[in-house]
Amino acid sequence: MSAAPVSVSAPPAAAARAPWPVQAGLVARRWIVDGFRLPWGLGVSVIQPVVWIVLFGNVFKAVTQVPGFGHTSYLTFLVPGILMMTMLYSGAWAGTGFIDDIRSGVMDRLLSSPVSRSALVAGQLVQQLLLSLIQGVVLLLIGWAAGARYAGGPTGMAIALVASLLLAAAFCSVSAAVALTARDQTALIGISTLVVLPATFLSTALMPVALLPHWVQATARYNPLTWATELARTAMSPSIDGRVVLTRGLLLLALAAVTYAWSVAAMRNYQRSL
Amino acid sequence: MSPTPAVEATGLVKTYPGGRGRPPVRALDGLDLTVPAGTVHGLLGPNGAGKTTTTKVLTTLSTASSGTARVAGHDVSREADAVRRAIGYVSQGTGADPLLTPRENLVMAARLRGAGRSAASERAEELLGRMGLHDEAGRRTGTLSGGTRRKLDVALGLVDAPRVLFLDEPTTGLDPEARASMWQEIRALAADDEVTVLLTTHYLEEADRLADAVSIIDHGRVVATGSPAALKAEIGGASLEDVYLHHAGRAWDAEAIR
Repeated sequence: MSAAPVSVSAPPAAAARAPWPVQAGLVARRWIVDGFRLPWGLGVSVIQPVVWIVLFGNVFKAVTQVPGFGHTSYLTFLVPGILMMTMLYSGAWAGTGFIDDIRSGVMDRLLSSPVSRSALVAGQLVQQLLLSLIQGVVLLLIGWAAGARYAGGPTGMAIALVASLLLAAAFCSVSAAVALTARDQTALIGISTLVVLPATFLSTALMPVALLPHWVQATARYNPLTWATELARTAMSPSIDGRVVLTRGLLLLALAAVTYAWSVAAMRNYQRSL
Repeated sequence: MSPTPAVEATGLVKTYPGGRGRPPVRALDGLDLTVPAGTVHGLLGPNGAGKTTTTKVLTTLSTASSGTARVAGHDVSREADAVRRAIGYVSQGTGADPLLTPRENLVMAARLRGAGRSAASERAEELLGRMGLHDEAGRRTGTLSGGTRRKLDVALGLVDAPRVLFLDEPTTGLDPEARASMWQEIRALAADDEVTVLLTTHYLEEADRLADAVSIIDHGRVVATGSPAALKAEIGGASLEDVYLHHAGRAWDAEAIR
């Protein structure tokens, strides 16, 4: 076995540690490769939004005839909402990778090596955002094929996708933070389910604000899903409302930053609890 | 060989919250440990004695509640990063991503620690050769046998040419053949490469065969330390079992004591 007298004491490189972006890139690459080797997960995450478009688009078709709906095509109205809903549903799973690593022992090895804690978190987030971007693009294409029209053109679509990534970043970070705090798959799934479904219905993702009951209207205003949906809706409409884009965009950006900081703190707290 | 001990721990205490009104658990209770550089040192004790907690504190994974420890000359709490650069840690679990191949795991580990692209692949090939993993290098780690995966774990621990290598129960769950091959590898590390090896095990035979010195841990303290031969001679016993019985005051039964 030890035929070749290879010295283990000759360091491969003098560098003390890889620069932060390289570390984060390597971590991202690992999760991306892992993702492609589990084609089930990848497939489901692309098919899921398609199913929603078809189901919601058909079941609620008649809603355009309700007085006060204010849109002629439910599908055109719906696509931005489904886009944001998709970010929530797939983001909820983002933390599971950390739980797998904690259980297997990979996390122990990483945390006892000179690797930046924030790079471990950021790298995984980058992979999640790439996945979200793919989902978003597929969803817009399927929506268009089904009959939705995006008057805002390519610019509008790009703005909508950026908004969806900000929402995804926030939600993935929350999922990572919960995973690193609870360290339990069942708890993560339970908490996510508890949050995601009410969040969807307490927003304007599926129904215009005018048709929502008063208490839902009041709650929906503070729901990040509403911010992102309204941003995307105006961006893809014939007349983009710059004020909505700016205010909702800043809110989403702030939320993403705060939740990211929380997930990094959760990584450090995890180690402190060992 | 440097005169500074590879590991020097004094009065390590580690308490964990007991939870729900129960008193805190004292996993380490004033543990002292000195491991001279270039030796293989065995930490022996039943499950729950504090072996893994000791390893976690010394590898900077966990922080001691009190006491001090230096590894490779650096303080584990004040100079954690310097310690991390000088050590390799093979935990009880696996360190490898099951979806990546052994080669990919090794290259990623080397690059995370600062090696360039080509240096990292070179290093990976070196370690694959050394551990006899060339045939499995391109298969997914999750599909490999337990013995092969354990060798990969050790290779991952060696990726940055550590001065001190921590092996937490490296042969638990391995068949006799895989265990013998792992022993050979551990001996070679210390003999040929001057790596200090701190090995936890609850196999007395393993400690007897591999370790230059052992420390017997019980209830979070070292109750006896010395070379296996000296410990046996001291009490006139024939085996490390006798030594354990003498110092811990109860029979060695790793599985029963939990």
